[in-house]
Parts: sequence; structure tokens; C-alpha cells
Amino acid sequence: MKGSSMTTNTLEPLDPLIHVPARLRILVTLAALNEGDTLSFTRLQNMLDLTPGNLITHLRKLEDAGYIKSEKTWDGNGLATSVTLTIRGRAALEAYTEALRNLLGGLTP
Amino acid sequence: MTVIDDTNQAASAGEGADLDPREAAKILDQAKRQARRQFDPHPPLAVVVGAAGVFLFGYGAVWWSMHDQVVYSGPAGWSLVVLYGLIAVSAIAGSVASRGATAGVSGRARRQRQVQGAAFAAAGIGAWVIQGALRYRGVSFEIVYGVYGPTVPLIALAAVAAGINAVREEWLQLSVCIGIIAVASVSTFFGPLGAWGLTGLGCCLVLLAYAAALMVRQRRA
Repeated sequence: MKGSSMTTNTLEPLDPLIHVPARLRILVTLAALNEGDTLSFTRLQNMLDLTPGNLITHLRKLEDAGYIKSEKTWDGNGLATSVTLTIRGRAALEAYTEALRNLLGGLTP
Repeated sequence: MTVIDDTNQAASAGEGADLDPREAAKILDQAKRQARRQFDPHPPLAVVVGAAGVFLFGYGAVWWSMHDQVVYSGPAGWSLVVLYGLIAVSAIAGSVASRGATAGVSGRARRQRQVQGAAFAAAGIGAWVIQGALRYRGVSFEIVYGVYGPTVPLIALAAVAAGINAVREEWLQLSVCIGIIAVASVSTFFGPLGAWGLTGLGCCLVLLAYAAALMVRQRRA
């Protein structure tokens, strides 16, 4: 995180991997599904209105961190990619939400 | 993932930007609301349309066609056309909404829905088979079609839904199912007119209350 030392200290508890608008929206969207459910790449892209390349980049980062898991399946027309939130990813999002809540509670308006 | 042409451009998009925590909280909240709305297979509006259509107008039409009968002679044909037409429209609308909400979603929840569909089908078919058996055994039209018809199949379907919601610990939905079972059961004491009229009106009110509670919960979430 860039910025003043105060800003750096303030944002320290926030997971930098999640603290990016697109990745935050990806995790929140996947977290709205029931545990163990997967979402197709196409539906996720439509919901978030991201370009395929942009979405792939963010998904790779989240997958490298173990927050999501992607799998390719044959759907009759070709290979389809679907993604699911891992237990680690759900826990990370919960921790991020809690940290954000604490942070905003401490911030003066 | 087959499209990778703008990956490099995207790699830096939004990365390392100083996202304000307040802005992050706003994004989180908006994304949560949007996801819940888009994944919801039973949006409140659809519930209201279903309630008003099937119970108020469908059951109401059957009740209206019989309300001045001194001796039971059954509902008018037009009222049954209205009832089954509304049931068909409601089922199609519900199916379209559910398919839209679950498009691209697979996994355990999808398999659960298929199993639940089988449970509902078994309950409904079982109730209707018993209805046929009652008539076959000589039970009067008044009981078989006037009292049993509008209530028992509904109770059977609501009981399956109650079981599913009890397992999921969905207390609001469980309350709705119990409310429908209670209304339909009590209405049988009042003969064919009560069974159609009270079940229609009571279930409509229960479902409207459910839709209102859902909307309040969505706004609070």
C-alpha cells in the first residue's frame, strides 16, 4: 500500500489481495453461493461486467492464494470453466470484512 | 478460460490502488446485495404474483362460482380454467425465475434441488392418487373435490417444503409452510365453500406477509 505511514498502518490488517475492487466483488459474489457450489466463468463475467482477460487475471491471483478453485468440465459444446470459493477463501473474506468493520468503526467521519 | 488477449493490460488494472476503506465497504455491500438478488430463485415479486394469482384469483374464482349454491354441484368450468391457467402461468414464471437465478451454478445445491423436486412430485402425485381412490370408493363429490381437492394436495406439498426448510434452519420459510398447512387444515371444517374461500384468502395473506418480510430482510442485509 502506498501513501502516508498513517494510511499504511491503518490499512495493514486488510488483506491486500482482497482489497482490490474487482477481487472483492469476485469473492463476495462467490460467497453468496452455497458452500461447495460452483459458478461458471461466463455467468461470473456477466454479473461483474469485467472483460474476460481482466477476470482471468484476478481469478489466477485468487487461485494462487488458495482463495478460489477453478475447474474445467466438458459441457457438450466445449470446455467450460467454473470457479468455487474455497474454505480458506471464505475465511479470508470473513476476516477481511471483520477487519474493515473494525477499521471503519475506528475512523472518525 | 480461453480468452487471454487483454490479460497483461488487466494485470495492472486496479492493482495497488489506494482503495479507501469506506469505498471498499460500499463495494462489499453493493456486491453482496447484487449477488443475493441475482441468485435468489424466489424473488419477492414472483412470490406476490404467485400468491395473488393462484390463491386470490384462482381459488377465489372457484369460490365465486359456488358461493350461491344451496346444494353442492361443483365449481363452474370457467372457474377451473381460471384456476389451472393461473397455476400454469405461476409455475412457468417460477421456473423461468429459478432457471435465471441458477444459470451457471452447479454443485451440491443443484443436486439438492433435483432431489427436492422428486420429493414434491411424490407428495403431489400421492395426494392426487388418494383423491382418485376416495372417489373410487364412493366418497361424495362434495368431499373429494370440494374439501379434499383444494386442501390436502396443498398440505402435502407444504409439508415437504416445511421439512426441507426445517433441515436448512430457514425459519421464515418454515413459518410460511406451517401457516399454509394451518389455514388449509382449518378451512376443511367449513365445507367446500370454506375450503376454497378460506384457503385462497388465508394462503394469499400468508404469502403476501412472506414477500413483505423478504423485502424487509433484503433491505436490512
